[in-house]
Amino acid sequence: MTQAIDKTTVRNFCIIAHIDHGKSTLADRLIELTGAMRKEELREQVMDSMELERERGITIKAKAIRLDYKANDGKTYRLNLIDTPGHVDFSYEVSRTLAACEGAVLVIDASQGIQAQTLANVYLAMEHNLEIIPVLNKIDLPSAEIERVLDEIESVLGYGTENMLLISAKTGQGVPHLLERIVQRIPPPGGNADSPLRALIFDSHYDSYKGVIAYLRVTDGRISKGDNLRLMGQGTEMEVLEVGYFAPEPCPVQTLSAGDVGYIATGLKNVAECRVGDTVTSESNGAAEPLLGYRPAKPMVFAGIYPTEADDYQELRAAIDKLSLNDASLSYEPESSPLLGYGFRCGFLGLLHMDIVRERLEREFALALLVTAPGVSFTVTKTSGQTVTVVNPTDLPQPHEIERIEEPWVSISVITPSKFIGPLMELVMGCGGMHKRTEYLGHSKTPGELGQRVQLEFDMPLRSMLTTFYDQLKSRSQGYASLDYEFVGYREAKLVKLDVLVNGVLADAFSRIVPPEKAHDIGEAIISKLKEEIPRQLFQVPLQAAVGSRIVARANIPAKRKDVLAKCYGGDVTRKRKLLEKQKEGKRKLKQIGKVDVPKEAFTSVLKLNW
Amino acid sequence: MSYQGREYDIPAYVNALKKELALCADGQRVRSIYFGGGTPSLLSPEQVQGIMDTVHSLFGVDKTAEVTLEANPGTVDEPYLAAIRASGINRLSLGVQSLENSELALLGRIHTSAEAGQAVRFARNTGFTNLSLDLIYGVPGQTMAGWRETLEGIIEFGPEHISLYPLTLEDDAPLKLKIERGEVSPIDPDCAADQYELAQDLMESHGYRHYEISNWARAGYECRHNMVYWHNQSYLGAGVAAHSHIDGHRTANTADLDCYLSAYSNNTPLTHDLNEKIGPELQLSETVILGLRLSEGIEAVEIQRRFGIDLLRQYRQQVAEAVSLGLLECAGSRIRLTRKGRLLGNEVFWRFLPE
Repeated sequence: MTQAIDKTTVRNFCIIAHIDHGKSTLADRLIELTGAMRKEELREQVMDSMELERERGITIKAKAIRLDYKANDGKTYRLNLIDTPGHVDFSYEVSRTLAACEGAVLVIDASQGIQAQTLANVYLAMEHNLEIIPVLNKIDLPSAEIERVLDEIESVLGYGTENMLLISAKTGQGVPHLLERIVQRIPPPGGNADSPLRALIFDSHYDSYKGVIAYLRVTDGRISKGDNLRLMGQGTEMEVLEVGYFAPEPCPVQTLSAGDVGYIATGLKNVAECRVGDTVTSESNGAAEPLLGYRPAKPMVFAGIYPTEADDYQELRAAIDKLSLNDASLSYEPESSPLLGYGFRCGFLGLLHMDIVRERLEREFALALLVTAPGVSFTVTKTSGQTVTVVNPTDLPQPHEIERIEEPWVSISVITPSKFIGPLMELVMGCGGMHKRTEYLGHSKTPGELGQRVQLEFDMPLRSMLTTFYDQLKSRSQGYASLDYEFVGYREAKLVKLDVLVNGVLADAFSRIVPPEKAHDIGEAIISKLKEEIPRQLFQVPLQAAVGSRIVARANIPAKRKDVLAKCYGGDVTRKRKLLEKQKEGKRKLKQIGKVDVPKEAFTSVLKLNW
Repeated sequence: MSYQGREYDIPAYVNALKKELALCADGQRVRSIYFGGGTPSLLSPEQVQGIMDTVHSLFGVDKTAEVTLEANPGTVDEPYLAAIRASGINRLSLGVQSLENSELALLGRIHTSAEAGQAVRFARNTGFTNLSLDLIYGVPGQTMAGWRETLEGIIEFGPEHISLYPLTLEDDAPLKLKIERGEVSPIDPDCAADQYELAQDLMESHGYRHYEISNWARAGYECRHNMVYWHNQSYLGAGVAAHSHIDGHRTANTADLDCYLSAYSNNTPLTHDLNEKIGPELQLSETVILGLRLSEGIEAVEIQRRFGIDLLRQYRQQVAEAVSLGLLECAGSRIRLTRKGRLLGNEVFWRFLPE
């Protein structure tokens, strides 16, 4: 429908921000002001549509919206606003999205100032040579500290006050200026429509009618309906069933050409065949070099997911299969546990990703799940010279078979008021972290009582982040500290397997890989939780935590002595029988470890136990 | 059931009760009568007499029938007891609960320990030769020493029958709320178990036979009325919220007093809160579960006669499990709870429920 327009009037950009700094609200305002949707059509936060999709059953994800904007120079510009995932777990996706843009609007909250993901995002944008337009958002809030934050931005990022736009995405104040600046500052796309096709996939989702929908940025060449295409990284071949863009509803077109952003419907059955970061080219006479080095996003965090009711295993399998159609970074392998039965060992990009998957399985598929404590992927070199990857603690070889264990490390960046440096240092050190750098952000003439803001950098085992780390970071800094992290590689680790024995029987699901010096404390925590949760049995039940044959913590659950309906006369029989029926039914739902009846809650709370 | 503040309805209630009895009467033979639930001693001697007359006019009451009335100490005096004794009440069950005034207060009882002793004397003076006393153990703050004193005090009163109940709290019980607010320490089940065991020893040594989980009696004074329940036999209940078990049906009259009263004043059918047909399988289960409450346990020969099944074969696995847990013992063709099993009865009972 739209003929190829002058590339010089195209602007491809994204909005980058620390979480909750107003990215989605700004997107809404841009959509509204350019008239793509009227205010009354505009549901809150169009770009943040996951929840809405679910509730309304629509399958369109507004991952990239085309906006027509009539600028002050009288020309109409085509603005392609590309959404970026808002969490550190998805930094790979973020970097692919940035690669599809020429510019980025950097949103900074006028109360909170620069936060860890602000910096991480700026560095990523700079790596991709994006034109960055910094804006100070939420200036309408009473808590806004415009002066202080401007000062901080100038000294940390080097954007002078004269370059900063002050806006309120909520009220729309300053947003028209932002639109003008986008047009003026962000360069039009380069590339050549007559070169062989190269288009970057920056997102994809599965649609049950059209197969995988790939969102892409065409850098060179053209894509038309009916073209046969190939993914240069994965080698997947496909026919283009439909070409189009979102405005924000899908608008099919004949052709997308160099500089354009849009979607193609591929008919593919699984997003894993069409992953983010890959380059699309023509099946014949394709391009020689991909746009970016392609690597699939690699799961970093692993946990076992089991149905609470063994009968639900097939349903869980179907649910995970279905979910993974839309989530290429979710990995899963069937596994079984003597205790938990049949389930899956799943790999996630991070904890948030894990929570999302769990929640979707529970909410969308109505499954009751047991999820084991999250862990990382260890590389174990055995004395035999063989190297194995261990993602389930029960698979850790015997101590005498282990030559060396390596575990993933992350580099973390924390931004905090200086008052909290002490407690945060203590936290990171306690997690086995190593301090790398401390940098004061800005030179405020009037630091508040919390002191100057500081960026701290550490290296830390990823394993330590999978527990209460983030909660503690927040609580030790009264909520002020923000965090960003990235994977830096594998390092040697000194770790042991901590086992839990209930009545002398190994409870495999509770095993954890821990540093030896923490085995006692973690063991104590698990044992005392179990003691709290396992009801008294007809016999005394010893609970033990052990490293190899060494017991590091123990407790006994004393035998139950009294459980009887003492009063039972003519008027009580039916009511008392119902109580017994309930008791019997309850027994049926218990899992058994050895001869010990263990309620589901005991599993959940021990598996949730954060250490 | 208690309906506080409805004392003025008692005459109407007694009339309704008599009407209900008349409707139920079918020439049945009556071996025991029990005035219980709530506070039957709120009835005047004339009202008791009236009900007794009605029963005698409608049913074939045995000459030796056991006729019990429940009463609370502090609410009955000698003339009252003499009067009801004269109308045929021959067994008195007194809700003594405790001989510690602080515990009585905590339990929300209006009487004192002294009044309990007085009530026993009144009963003896008016010719009651079959007296039952109730006590409560497992009360927050109740020590072993305090419990022993209460037990010894009760034994000294020399009743023919004693019932001991652990404190249980309904959801809306004021004491439960106090415990939830932390004003009173929670019920300690281990302490209650210790108290129960002490009671077993003490009562046994004073000649009381532990004939049911919560009941002790001198030989020949086991409550005949309650034995009907534990033998899972038939009984007719009359009055608001009363339960009956007749011809394989268990029913409960409405617990709504107004509903009950209006049914008989308007001659409309009485509503039931419960009307359950107990099939043969459930009947067997209940017979076993109720029978196991008795120290004599269950006689397989009796079950064979009543249900035509071999108890020890049908429940072979359940019996074996409970025996191996030390909760149940077999003696010839009889099974019964062990001493340990009496405190853990539910762990035996649920195993005998139908699949």
